[in-house]
Amino acid sequence: MKIGVRKILKFERLAEKISYTSFGVVFLSLEGLGKAFEMTKEAIGNIFKGVISAKDTVTQMVEVGWSSLPIILLTSFFMGMVLALQVGSATSNMFNEPVYVGTITGFAMAIELGPVLTAIVVTGRVGSAITAEIGTMKVTEQLDALYTLGTDPVKYLAVPRFLACFFMLPILTIISNIVGIYGGMILSTNTWVLSSNAFWAEALDFMTIRTFLHGFIKSFFFALIIVIVACHKGFNTKGGAEGVGKATTSSVMTSMVFILIADYFLTALLVTLRIK
Amino acid sequence: MIKVDNIYKRFGVKTVLNGVSLDVRSGETLVIIGSSGVGKSILLKNIIGLVKPDSGFIEVDGVNITNCSLEELHETRKKIGYVFQESALFDSLNIFENVAFGLKNLTSLSKNEIKQRTKQCLSMVGLENIEHLNPSGLSGGMKKRVGLARAIAYQPEYILYDEPTTGLDPIMSDVINDLIINLKKYLHVTSIVVTHDMNSAYKIADRIMMLYGGNIIFNGTPDEVRSTKNKYVKQFVEGSSQGPIHTDRTFEMERKKI
Repeated sequence: MKIGVRKILKFERLAEKISYTSFGVVFLSLEGLGKAFEMTKEAIGNIFKGVISAKDTVTQMVEVGWSSLPIILLTSFFMGMVLALQVGSATSNMFNEPVYVGTITGFAMAIELGPVLTAIVVTGRVGSAITAEIGTMKVTEQLDALYTLGTDPVKYLAVPRFLACFFMLPILTIISNIVGIYGGMILSTNTWVLSSNAFWAEALDFMTIRTFLHGFIKSFFFALIIVIVACHKGFNTKGGAEGVGKATTSSVMTSMVFILIADYFLTALLVTLRIK
Repeated sequence: MIKVDNIYKRFGVKTVLNGVSLDVRSGETLVIIGSSGVGKSILLKNIIGLVKPDSGFIEVDGVNITNCSLEELHETRKKIGYVFQESALFDSLNIFENVAFGLKNLTSLSKNEIKQRTKQCLSMVGLENIEHLNPSGLSGGMKKRVGLARAIAYQPEYILYDEPTTGLDPIMSDVINDLIINLKKYLHVTSIVVTHDMNSAYKIADRIMMLYGGNIIFNGTPDEVRSTKNKYVKQFVEGSSQGPIHTDRTFEMERKKI
């Protein structure tokens, strides 16, 4: 019996050492993916079963959508202006006059910058808040308290956040597209002496509903990445205040990296499907 | 009845519970004493199913909670209240919502009944007119009492207390002791109390167990504890740094001697 315990201890120490190697990192990443998958399955299962708290979902929708609106308006407006300034400046150098300012600003905002910028801003504002809140609840035993009071934390905390992110991020993306293009127009009419009619004509002439659909579809996937990563990191927070800080940083960084990687693959897929 | 049979729990290379077995009879108050970090809270969390033992089993009213369906576990948890060491109140809810949380989820009481029961439970722990406050506005002792009110609100058959009097002044500690005794006397609640507070242990316990080195090393009545010759129990009860129980301080002193 004693030999058995010693062998187990030896094996555990070896496993502990391995966990610090690259193999260990891969193993832990796969373990994390498995846990995230389980949580997502449970959350989506609850949504399809209709186990949803309307009050909590609306509260989260306000938090994700309405509260993020000012920062989305501001960043999108300036992004549109920067784009119009850069395009006008570059084309002035090449053709002695600013051309395609509306077209390029419109395209860039609708298919790429609108959805990606919105997702990044929401990651920083909402994703970090979700991880910090759930993580704090984990380290202060509030999640354990939920279990003892007959409530599943995934149902109570994750489901409203899943729904809020999934529905509010695409809406914020549409608003970002419109405000970004509007910002480009304001700059073009003032700096490049382009009439607003000419700008809109340039912007909309080459764009179809599919162009807007391209960015709109991507935003649903970005929303899922943000909420899955944020909830997963929160539920698996360890340690005290330091642990919450680390989990929050990790949540934001992981979401941003996954959004940018997913953006490439989604773009490739949508282009193949001619949604562009 | 709660039956814990030969449970083992390890975290990494550290064995916390090393074959713990105990029975808790209906209506009795069992107090578990032991040094900090010895695994008392982990034992309680195993009993309510928050932590799963590596081996062994735990039965609550005949249901093996280490190997039952989620529905059975949920039904069993309805019978158990848990008072957390650090209160674990929900930050985003006010005091009323915190205490009423279990009532809304585990009972079919009407809104009015929930309101009345919540007020009644808060007044039982000596708190009144604080329903509208948030947990952040309360002192540590008040939070502890709200946590206790939340655990007793849905009138569970079993209550597990994780250091219920730690951080409270002596008078309030005695109020909590009386409350535990009254819950047993009038509602026949079965309790397991984890504590370091020997005054409290002597007052409320029918039986006292001591956990050391992952095992139960003593099991007896409060009178038996007072008259024991067990060196470990004696050292702990007397609060002496000299004896067989090694603390960080004794380790440090031994190192200095070397």
